Amino acid sequence: MIHALRAGAYGIPFMPVGGMWGSDLIAIRPEFFQIMKSPFDGTETVVVNALVPDYAIIHVQEADIYGNCRILGPSYQDALMARAAKKTIITTERIVGSYRMQEEPKLTSIPHFLVEAVVELPGGAKPGICYPEYQAVEWDKHKAYQKAVKADELGKYADMMLEGRL
Amino acid sequence: MEYGKAEMMATAIIREIQDGQIVFHGLASSTPMVAMKAAKALGKDFTYVTLSDGVDHDWTRAPYVASTLTENTYTGSVATFGLDEIFDLFCSGKGDIAFLSCLQMDQEGRIAMSYLGGDYEHPKLRGPGGAGSATLTPVTPKTTIWKTQHDKKTFVEHVDFATTMPAVDKDFTVITPLCIFRKPAGEKLLKVDCIFPYTTLEEVKENTGWTIDQTSVPVMEPPTEEELAAIKRVDPNNILGFEFK
Repeated sequence: MIHALRAGAYGIPFMPVGGMWGSDLIAIRPEFFQIMKSPFDGTETVVVNALVPDYAIIHVQEADIYGNCRILGPSYQDALMARAAKKTIITTERIVGSYRMQEEPKLTSIPHFLVEAVVELPGGAKPGICYPEYQAVEWDKHKAYQKAVKADELGKYADMMLEGRL
Repeated sequence: MEYGKAEMMATAIIREIQDGQIVFHGLASSTPMVAMKAAKALGKDFTYVTLSDGVDHDWTRAPYVASTLTENTYTGSVATFGLDEIFDLFCSGKGDIAFLSCLQMDQEGRIAMSYLGGDYEHPKLRGPGGAGSATLTPVTPKTTIWKTQHDKKTFVEHVDFATTMPAVDKDFTVITPLCIFRKPAGEKLLKVDCIFPYTTLEEVKENTGWTIDQTSVPVMEPPTEEELAAIKRVDPNNILGFEFK
């Protein structure tokens, strides 16, 4: 998945990956995995098809109104997703002034020109975690979320969450 | 000090880790998480990387949930190194041990992580995926599978759909509550490397789906007082026990 997103972000049709040898996933997903020979020395390599998501939706700790984002905890593959997707929507714990970015530009891992929209949404990663804002999963609410997914009532769950009724 | 299967497995994991190694564990991996923190407490000089992005986090902070994605494997890190970078590190031959798990395994070390029962499109149980395992297992010098159940449902004669399998030229180790299986580099099949003090080779055979033709195997030394104290020290909330309830 990471290499598929890299191919998407790099604007190339596919990407060689390390490992994967011996996996039955290669044969069952030919639209995603193929094996090819290096044109340089003939080494066989597994390759994955490029992924270009229509949207990436990413929750961050701080963003300014232009979409410059600071991910202050683990960043996982969020910056890569923003580079691979056609459009990126940011939800943020808080909107901060752009001076914060100007003070430490290296901390801006997603720059504004990759971002379509910014939504200020404190607690937006709940019932999951958003280091260091909230660090423990709220299990009762997580169970309610799972139940809502199974019952196809995610809209109702979201309404209740936003209205603080969970 | 008393110990059970959980402490014995953690001790076996601790003993796998050598100074100078770069060691990774995956998601929802409370057993290797506690063991790796305890290995740090025992003074083993290795590098701890995991999916939280953290590198050598502050191991003195006790885990409070079994998830390995919390601040507990991040706070106090000396650097951040993401999962994409960890894959690159191991694929380029710079990593040493990856502690991973499985749903099912056979004697060739073929691992089911994608699904069990039915077929790929219509499984009875959809697994957590396992492209990470599929990436790491063939390239890691010492892939080490930890599994807190040892029974014939888990260790089967033949895995139908192998999400991944070890490379012939790499070591491959499996740690269960009863024993350690190993496939040394150059070989294809797992053999019992040693059993734990509270079990017998007979019990291992009875609970393994493939035929074990070995007639005698070494017994691993029980956890030392020092090892048990280290486990207790890093894990006062007994998160290690989570997988053994």
